[in-house]
Amino acid sequence: MKTLVLGLGNSILCDDSVGLRVIQNLKNRILNPDISIVEASEGGLGLIMLLSGYDKAIIVDAIQTKNGQVGDIYRLSSDTFTGSRHIGTLHDVDFASALQIVEKLHIPLPVEICIYAIEVMEVNIFSEECTGKVNEAIPVVVEKVLQECIQSNVL
Amino acid sequence: MLKKISINPVTRLEGHGKIEIFLDDNGDVHDAYWQVVELRGFEKFCQGRPAEEMPRIVPNICGVCPTPHNMASVKALDDLYSLEPTATAKLIRQLQYNAFFIEDHFIHFFFLSAPDFILGPDADPAERNILGLIGKVGTGIGNRVIDIRKRCRNIMGHVGGKPTHPEGGLPGGVSRGFTEDDRKGLIETANMCVEFGKFAIQLFKETVLGNKEYLKLVRSENYSLKTFNMGMVDENNQVNFYEGKLKVTDPAGKEYAFFDSRDYINYIGEWVEPWTYVRLTHLKPLGWHGLTEGDGTSLYRVGPLARLNVADNMATPLAQKEYEIMFDTLGGKPSHQTLAYHWARLIEALQAAETMQIITGDPLLTSKDIRNMNLKLKKVGIGCVEAARGTLIHHYETDDDGIITKVNLIVATQHNAAPISLSVKKAATGLIKHKEVSEGLLNMVEMAFRAYDPCLGCATHTLSGHSPIELIIRDSKGMEIKRLNSI
Repeated sequence: MKTLVLGLGNSILCDDSVGLRVIQNLKNRILNPDISIVEASEGGLGLIMLLSGYDKAIIVDAIQTKNGQVGDIYRLSSDTFTGSRHIGTLHDVDFASALQIVEKLHIPLPVEICIYAIEVMEVNIFSEECTGKVNEAIPVVVEKVLQECIQSNVL
Repeated sequence: MLKKISINPVTRLEGHGKIEIFLDDNGDVHDAYWQVVELRGFEKFCQGRPAEEMPRIVPNICGVCPTPHNMASVKALDDLYSLEPTATAKLIRQLQYNAFFIEDHFIHFFFLSAPDFILGPDADPAERNILGLIGKVGTGIGNRVIDIRKRCRNIMGHVGGKPTHPEGGLPGGVSRGFTEDDRKGLIETANMCVEFGKFAIQLFKETVLGNKEYLKLVRSENYSLKTFNMGMVDENNQVNFYEGKLKVTDPAGKEYAFFDSRDYINYIGEWVEPWTYVRLTHLKPLGWHGLTEGDGTSLYRVGPLARLNVADNMATPLAQKEYEIMFDTLGGKPSHQTLAYHWARLIEALQAAETMQIITGDPLLTSKDIRNMNLKLKKVGIGCVEAARGTLIHHYETDDDGIITKVNLIVATQHNAAPISLSVKKAATGLIKHKEVSEGLLNMVEMAFRAYDPCLGCATHTLSGHSPIELIIRDSKGMEIKRLNSI
């Protein structure tokens, strides 16, 4: 099974980089050629196109929810984001809209997309470090992604 | 008492940009401002770092135009270290850069502009988008846009290490070149881009020029703004995105200034107003004259239409032919019609594609001589490129060890911030009367804003790529009475 493990974020926006940090930790742990380990700062269509051609995708990203506790880890499916988003961005489309576009254009996407989202605190300052509890979540997410790969028989 | 309408983008950094339209007691437009809230501290974040880190860092401040930031930064390092890139390195950089222009301009046109014209500005917002466009014109166009985007991004990724947030530029050259094995694919991509560029312009002409109402809209006073124009031109006064001098023409089209970007400080002034965190640029020798157009203005516009206004010609034959058609249709140069930015954008995409064709056929492209290493630190470096949405300047200063002590960035949306406010006001004035605000009218106000393809992240040094528009109407006491979303 061709699998993508994708970390998303901005490397200089503090906790927003957590997805990238997780991926950097996974690079030495996953050596299977069928698994691509990728860091990206993409959204919308760019993100969707990264997923194209894989059977399974595991995405790691930062999230901020209304009542979330910093450092909380969520496992979400791509369906979580569909149905509530519409188009109207300045220069791209959002994730759900991009999904609709590729479906309409019959571009193949992974059968399974799961998202590990880490509740973050600070994404509005310039820093190349995550804050304390977000940092603590990194090794936990690394193990969860490894387990996800093992359970899917791709590792 | 004034009434207030807010068109408010909801971003991940919520509330970091909005348009405020103030109505008077009659419900007519009194004034309009485009406001952006800034995250401060980027310059400080850079201080104390080796200058060579800058091309890696600066692409991260913008989710929309990372490649221009990387390129302006690399060119600032060329200047800082007194380096002239090798001929092959220049070709590679320009191949990467023109690939970026093609991808960026087509995405803007097909995802954002074309739905307004092909589905109509009054169409249901749920349909007036790329999905509606695909539904109307077929999946073929969608697949071609996706394919060209992918091919261009592959080129950008090859040179930059990755397509977005590139890191591959080095002072004096590039870190990776091309081989003869790569050339066939590059030529194929360039040819496809030229064909698609021709198709896109034809589609625009058929859709817009073939529709009297749309053409009237493009030519209307509501979508006109008489300012100076600024853009980069080469030694033949032709449009150039990568290198050249900056030329400024006055509202009548007469040359006002022509200067090396290293002298920008003598020509470009930055002005702070209490209603925005964007430092508003203007022509420094004229002084700040506020948000005014026409006689007495010191404002200028940048971006596709401005570039075509200041240049004598396009640099490639097919683009030149379309340039002549555009100005003939619009009544000559300069054109102040804001919606013509879309047309100019497509002509630029065609020039970028033709330039790509020329570069991919150049024998020097695959030379191994990709870097000049004769570094001589001079402690000040200024780099300038034309980003897709306008002139971009990076200015760095260092200590004796090449450690950053000062950073100043002037970005396209900064140049256009004041004109955007004026354009929104003019469109709103013509379209909102006696408090009558319909979804279609609002979109037509937004069209004035959208034509500039503004980038909030760039202007404020924050990351922001997603900015749906929200409209809030408040009564004279500031109470919200209506809210409309374009998302």
